[in-house]
Amino acid sequence: MLVAEGVHKRYGGARALQGASLSLYPGEVHGLCGENGSGKSTLLKIISAQVAADQGRVSLDGRPTHFGDASRALAAGIATVTQERALVDDLSVAENIFLGPRKPRTWRGVDWRETRRLAQRLLDSLGCDIDLDAPVGRLRPDLQQMVEIARALSTDARVLILDEPTSSLADDEVESLFEAVRTLKGSGVATVFVSHRLREVFALCDRLTVLRDGEVVGTGAIGDFDERRLVSLMLGREPDELIAGDRRPDHLDDAVLRVRNLRVPGRLDGIGFDIGPGEIVGLAGLVGAGRSSLLGALFGLEQETTGTVEVEGRRVAPRGPAQAMAAGFGYVPADRKEEGLVLDMSVRENLLMARASRRTRLARPSRAAERRAVEEAVRDFQISAAATDAPVSRLSGGNQQKVVLAKWFATEPRVLLLDEPTRGVDVGAKAEIYRLLEQAKERGLAILVSSSETSELLHLCDRVLVMARGRITARFDRDDADEAVITRAAMGVSG
Amino acid sequence: MNREGFDAGRLARTAVGQRFFAVLVLLVVITVGFILTQERFFTSGNVKALLTSAAILWVVSIGLTFVMLAGGFDLSIGSTLALSSIALGQFVNHFGAPPILAILLTLVFGALLGGAVNGVLVGPVGLSFLVVTLGTLILFRGALNLWSDTKTEQVVSPLLDSLAFDSFLGIPYPVWIMVATFLVALYVQRSTYFGRDVYAVGGNADAARLSGVRVGRTIIAVYAISGLLAAFGGVLQTARIGAASPQVGESVLFDAAAAVLLGGTSFAGGLGGVGGTIVGVLFLATLQNGLSVSGVASFWQQIITGAILLAAILLDRIQRQGLPGFPRRPGTADEPAASAPPGGGG
Repeated sequence: MLVAEGVHKRYGGARALQGASLSLYPGEVHGLCGENGSGKSTLLKIISAQVAADQGRVSLDGRPTHFGDASRALAAGIATVTQERALVDDLSVAENIFLGPRKPRTWRGVDWRETRRLAQRLLDSLGCDIDLDAPVGRLRPDLQQMVEIARALSTDARVLILDEPTSSLADDEVESLFEAVRTLKGSGVATVFVSHRLREVFALCDRLTVLRDGEVVGTGAIGDFDERRLVSLMLGREPDELIAGDRRPDHLDDAVLRVRNLRVPGRLDGIGFDIGPGEIVGLAGLVGAGRSSLLGALFGLEQETTGTVEVEGRRVAPRGPAQAMAAGFGYVPADRKEEGLVLDMSVRENLLMARASRRTRLARPSRAAERRAVEEAVRDFQISAAATDAPVSRLSGGNQQKVVLAKWFATEPRVLLLDEPTRGVDVGAKAEIYRLLEQAKERGLAILVSSSETSELLHLCDRVLVMARGRITARFDRDDADEAVITRAAMGVSG
Repeated sequence: MNREGFDAGRLARTAVGQRFFAVLVLLVVITVGFILTQERFFTSGNVKALLTSAAILWVVSIGLTFVMLAGGFDLSIGSTLALSSIALGQFVNHFGAPPILAILLTLVFGALLGGAVNGVLVGPVGLSFLVVTLGTLILFRGALNLWSDTKTEQVVSPLLDSLAFDSFLGIPYPVWIMVATFLVALYVQRSTYFGRDVYAVGGNADAARLSGVRVGRTIIAVYAISGLLAAFGGVLQTARIGAASPQVGESVLFDAAAAVLLGGTSFAGGLGGVGGTIVGVLFLATLQNGLSVSGVASFWQQIITGAILLAAILLDRIQRQGLPGFPRRPGTADEPAASAPPGGGG
């Protein structure tokens, strides 16, 4: 019923889609697979008319459609539910389903009885039982997801796009979501399902389309695929034999950082590993696999952390960043503008901020010592800041990230935790950051790097730990691993 | 910030870059205007009176500046001032404390009201500063009426008298107190680790916390400073009228907020400083004094103050983000044009 043909799309110089096609039949669940950057999101946005295609056509029920804007696509019956929640926590389930001006009305105003009746009917059609009057914020995540789907269906949608709906759901919650999707199939709704978890794709979908570099590299019934074939299509080559990761905590006698059985309810489960002096260990995994939670737990940001953490043989249990720093940790957060820097403050003050935290508050900073520290940082890190007194907001992204790194190097940590250290920086700054981490390694630091770019981890790290659903699921030495192997492990493909 | 000798050019450039520069220019303009038109304005007696009358607003505004730099606000300063005044009267009259001890006790009392009540609830507990300080605004006002039985009580003390009315080297004590308070505040703001924490917490509390700044303690400290200086205002008020009165301090909040904002300290925190605040205080005091010397009705002062406050904030917004509906050209988008280097509040 919905057909997209020969769709091309460019963003600036980058080709996002090159002649991609997709066809949907009533009552099917169609899986859309591809690595990050393969063009999945762009294709979905074109189908749902959020962006216009450069070339190609999209037709619904045989009629060519050039949707002008997203609201017209919605009126035509195409609804999208993304991984980002778009619910108002304090409003009831019924109100969220009919959010905005779409509530049924009478001459007295909103017709609440009719609203509730329609909401109940939508939830019944999904086969789920939710209290209509409960505030959405109190629901379980999967039920919140249901409310979003119900809202999408309230527009009488016949095409439902689910963009990574399961990334924040637990296993049993995923199953209840699948039940609802299967119920919808019965009523003729076509569903597009995007997930990085191949197991889910095989469990739910009837047909598959695989994208790579903006092109469709495979499409067909689910029976035509197996996990191996799917992964090799996505990656564009045959993956090497999967090296069965050693699941025991690898033990080092001279570990700088030793973690055993680290647990945060709902996020991390039984994490254990060692990092030796001068070793860089990478954390791979999908978004939501628990990489950031692990770094945060080590830095004292998670409330209910249990398990043992040792730094150079001393047991530590930091509660809060200040204690974590005293224990020898440094932490470069993923979002430098929100969490790494005070943008209105100068380069100098940002550089000195973490270093200063160990001093008495009423002490007077030694200007000579500080100037030396700033000069060293600017030299070592080649921060191109003409004036270190300028606000750090005026620097480029790469230079800002170098300021964050320099700030932490100045605290002389024993263990450095980095979350996506090269996100949003240019190639030159990236190489620079790699060089600085190599230097830190030579000084004997233990370094734990989380990154969603597998190639970066393979370039940088001595070993790579792969996480999925809060656990370490595979461990590789750099020489034993390649991107395909790590990607497969992160997606939960076994054997 | 390294000072190698005096450099007038650099000083001038620094002044122009400050957020309070426009208000500083206005202050000079109205001062010159009053000097030229009112011969009674620029007499030593009137200048002393002008400065002395500004003393209470001055110390209270400096306290409020620290709270606002840290991204908060303290609605309770007027009530804290009045409650401290009543406390001072009680300490002197009913507990028989020697005046100097009574004054110190009052200051500690004010710091506790600010730090242990406002500070703890806003910082570690994490409640909204508006709700907390609105609550204590009402609570402290009720407590002081209860404690004083709503009666004004004379406080007789030579020390308090001389604090308000005597001079040293020909300069009234209140002016000495103003200078000393300002210099201490400037030092704390610019030259201590604590001062940097305040800017960091106001600029980006998450980043500050992840850098090891103890955000909760910093917030307790700024509210303690605010309470301490409000209590100091209460001491000066008691000294000036020679009595502890439950009616004082009801309008000081509005004047102090106007002075701090005129002085360029941002409501969002992290920008500004006590240097701007004293310019704001002097502007308000000069305007009031000059207009009353000119025989102009006092409500004109309110109209002018309000209009200039709005104009100053609008100007700041335009400098930072362009006119509404006229987005700034790309390339300049994230550069706050009028941002002072933090700590450069001199």
